Amino acid sequence: MLALLAALTMPGCRAVPVQAPANYLRVDIDTSPLSLDPRYGTDAVSSRINELIFDSLARIDARGAIVGELAESLERPSPTELVFHLRRGVRFSDGRPLTARDVKYTFDSMLDPAALSPKGGDMAALARVEAPDDFTIKFITTRPYAPALQWALHGVVPYATPPPGRNQPAPPGSGPFRLRRLVRDEWVILDRNPYHRAPPAAVGGIAFKVVPDPTVCALELIKGAAQFAQNNLPPDLVAYLRGRRGLRVVQAAGSTYQYMEFNFRDPILADLRVRQAIAMAIDRDALVASIMRGTARVATGMLAPENWAYEANVVRYPYDPQAARRLLDAAGYPMRAGGRRFALVYTTTQGEERRLLAQAFAAMLAEVGIELRIRTYEWPTFYSDIQRGNFDVTSMAWIGINDPHHYYMVFDSAMTPPKGLNRSGYSNPRMDRLLEQADATLDPVRRKAIYAEVQKLAAHDLPYLSLWWQDNVAVMSREVAGFRPFPNGSLRSFASISLAQGGLLRLPPEAPEAALR
Amino acid sequence: MMRFFLRRLAGLAPVALGVATLTFALIHLVPGDPVIAMLGENAAPVDIAAMRHQLGLDRPLPAQYVSYLGGLLRGDLGSSISFHEPVTALIAARFPATLELAAAGLTVAVLIAFPLGFIAGARPGSAADFGAMAFAILGISVPHLYLGPLLMIVFSLRLGWLPLTGRGGLAHLVLPALTMGTAMAGILARMLRQSLAGVRDADFMRAARAKGLGEFHALAAHGLRNALTPVVSLMGLQAGALLTGSIVTEIIFSWPGIGRLMIEAIAARDYPLAQGCVLVFALTYVVVNLLTDIAYSLIDPRVRLG
Amino acid sequence: MRNLSLAAGAAIVSLLLLAAAAGPYLTAADPLAIDLGQVLAAPSRAHPLGCDALGRDLLARTLWGARVSIGIAAAVVGVSLAAGTLIGGVAALAGGRIDELLMRAVDVLLAFPGILLAIALAAILGPGLLDLVIALAAMGWTGYARLVRGEILSLRERDYVQAARGLGASPVRLLLVHLLPGVAAPLAVQASFGAGGIIIAEAALSFLGLGIPPPQPTWGGMLDEGRAFLLVAPHLTTVPGLAIGLSVLGFNFLGDGLAQRFGRRT
Repeated sequence: MLALLAALTMPGCRAVPVQAPANYLRVDIDTSPLSLDPRYGTDAVSSRINELIFDSLARIDARGAIVGELAESLERPSPTELVFHLRRGVRFSDGRPLTARDVKYTFDSMLDPAALSPKGGDMAALARVEAPDDFTIKFITTRPYAPALQWALHGVVPYATPPPGRNQPAPPGSGPFRLRRLVRDEWVILDRNPYHRAPPAAVGGIAFKVVPDPTVCALELIKGAAQFAQNNLPPDLVAYLRGRRGLRVVQAAGSTYQYMEFNFRDPILADLRVRQAIAMAIDRDALVASIMRGTARVATGMLAPENWAYEANVVRYPYDPQAARRLLDAAGYPMRAGGRRFALVYTTTQGEERRLLAQAFAAMLAEVGIELRIRTYEWPTFYSDIQRGNFDVTSMAWIGINDPHHYYMVFDSAMTPPKGLNRSGYSNPRMDRLLEQADATLDPVRRKAIYAEVQKLAAHDLPYLSLWWQDNVAVMSREVAGFRPFPNGSLRSFASISLAQGGLLRLPPEAPEAALR
Repeated sequence: MMRFFLRRLAGLAPVALGVATLTFALIHLVPGDPVIAMLGENAAPVDIAAMRHQLGLDRPLPAQYVSYLGGLLRGDLGSSISFHEPVTALIAARFPATLELAAAGLTVAVLIAFPLGFIAGARPGSAADFGAMAFAILGISVPHLYLGPLLMIVFSLRLGWLPLTGRGGLAHLVLPALTMGTAMAGILARMLRQSLAGVRDADFMRAARAKGLGEFHALAAHGLRNALTPVVSLMGLQAGALLTGSIVTEIIFSWPGIGRLMIEAIAARDYPLAQGCVLVFALTYVVVNLLTDIAYSLIDPRVRLG
Repeated sequence: MRNLSLAAGAAIVSLLLLAAAAGPYLTAADPLAIDLGQVLAAPSRAHPLGCDALGRDLLARTLWGARVSIGIAAAVVGVSLAAGTLIGGVAALAGGRIDELLMRAVDVLLAFPGILLAIALAAILGPGLLDLVIALAAMGWTGYARLVRGEILSLRERDYVQAARGLGASPVRLLLVHLLPGVAAPLAVQASFGAGGIIIAEAALSFLGLGIPPPQPTWGGMLDEGRAFLLVAPHLTTVPGLAIGLSVLGFNFLGDGLAQRFGRRT
């Protein structure tokens, strides 16, 4: 019996357990990154880590503006040409110099249908990429295309990097860190890139540890096993950690946009008055204060105020259940026996916060006579239903919206799935005209004016009810110095972060009362 | 013995085929698309179609099923859609972690169950019996998802004795093994108690007592061995519960095992990986039961394998 | 002979059944009424067990949850028991190929991780009570089938059954009149343990997001919801945790007690 147990245990013993080296920042993440090749990783964790390993032509800075990174300057010699002049002396983490050939290769491989890069999809208007010399890159578009600058945000890999495979977890990049070790579902350990141009970071590297459970992540922060976690703790846990000795919470305005989406194929929801009534029945201020614990700002539209194209002057729907009831009466849905007018199905995923929100929405809508029946599905089933238009009301989030071009993907009438992301089936010819015009308008001032109209129209038509923009919330040990939040959640400031006392500061165990309160 | 072994091995095949078929049917029946899970929500329809084609997902299901079975026969579980790696490699990397956890959980269960079961079974109906059984059942009554975090708070956060999460040395193993083992301990203890109570009146026990052995010694020397057979076969059946329990435990303790891999694969609709994980789960269960049957024959000479 | 287990088990299970039946009359609070002013409120006079993350009364939710959780356990055990008895009985009596086939199916299901089945059923039937009961029963009947088959195979050799068969009793009559009563005792024991197992399984499925959709309270669902607040408001997990613990304890005592009473192994 014991021999059997021993035999079973043997293969599990590993010679050297993986550990975070000293003077490495210990960061908890909730899932393993899917791909550390920037041409393939689309999930949030991959994006965060890839930003640390790879440079791109341009980058979004801490204020939300696009600034040059590999590119020192930019010209538009003609409406269909974008020319980037590259910085000199940049090297990949294996020592090879980075030239225009690498940049061209990166884009060519994303555009190559055989390479199956998920990022080729939004580059349909990119005709080709040219490298006239070692330090010049030229984008040639099929038509005058304003959102083209967004492409410059893709991370650059060395020339001839094959698609990811078993023996190649990640190609080298020219960013501040390089991959030291990837153990799926356990660790992603990054070292400093010795060839990086910036002054060497004060930390030796970053050790990302995969901890799927948020409560456990909070325990790790309290214990000091983790020193940093961003956006993977529910608001209540953040509120709890805020008061802890040894921990610090950095909360900053974020661009993640939460919205409620209505299906226009449903005759009840096709009525604008019903959508307006729903908007006025949901007390978003109260929800931000209670469920979100103040870690969000009530939103007026998809673009957050930090975005260059943000328009503040749009219709808003302050909480007013009386007005909501009047609108529903006027729409021809009188209150019937049992205090009910009609029922809608609310489809959502199984996340804890999602379930809480769903129940709060249901309670608020019940006040005006709308019964909201909650259906929770695991994510792929949910997504498949939403894409097929198989829902009444749902609520989702857009993460990392930089360019207002996203409005085209979600509100243009031609963009219904599977072609685009207009799941509600919303269609307004004026919206379509504005969106197409905006993409062809290169002048930022005129483009901004068009998007102002788009935002006003969207707020009026209510294909989405804007809920809130979620803050970026980072909980970190007080040892961590030099962290700067980015609106899109980027961790790029890890390049200049430092750890007091080499990160070896140990906190005494907490008193029992404090831990369990 | 050899004939029995071969026959049982041959019996594995239909079970494996059944599990493979059921898994294939269920996972393809559930809505969702591995390509969207992989390419992301913003993927272009052209790319989605191209990828579906490259992965062979645009072929009719029966054809996919046949080629899946063909691969199985060659020992090829296919290639993971989301990780771009062979399924066998991914599973091989995680499987030891789950085995380690299950073995540790089983050890904990045995260490708790045997004393409790013995105390209770030595004097059925006594207060000691009731107390030991109440304690054992208490173990069954606490769900893993509750016990895990509680153990973490007490032993790691407050007392600082053990690490919170992750896989490493023995210290990392203690809390997840306790979480997994307590429920099984209760079930085993109960079985041992009943089994012991059952053999107390057997002839060989009377003989042992007649030899002048005390009650305790008689039970330990002669009763235990005879009482062990149903306990061992129950352990085999519990292996399934242990593996299922490993899913919750692995998530809570960030344990890099195959349970978590399976959940991730199902969530990403990574068909080859999910099918591979389920199959490995199922085969492990069957093999463990085969092993317990063999152990059974070693413990109890009355059992003839034939 | 004293049978403490039976007494304790019967007492706890009766208490649970009583709570489930009379629950709604024991508290005036509405288990679904949200009060954002009472979020995570500690126990007080108005809310004896405190409030959850949406300010709902925990006592009311626990009492209502008893109905759902115990209802699920009863339904799953009932369906599993009926299906298992039928299939196990058929296998034992038919023998030969049919027996072989049915037992292989049992092997497959025993080896199959139920989680995938639960996900598939939730997607196909829509998440809810029905899908949960079917998923749990689909995995649960196998134990009963094996038990019934084994018991019948051994009973069949007994003299009185041989005699009845010799007198020309039909297989159905044989099963209903002569065999099932003999199987009843071990089945009752197994069902009692099974009920406890279902309550735990419901909690595990809730953790994996496959429980009953909100706002309907179940103990497993409440425990999972509360877990996020383990550090902030421990009463959110303590209350459903105790409810689950107590009921599993009760069902297991009952099973032990029954086993002692019938003097058999389980």
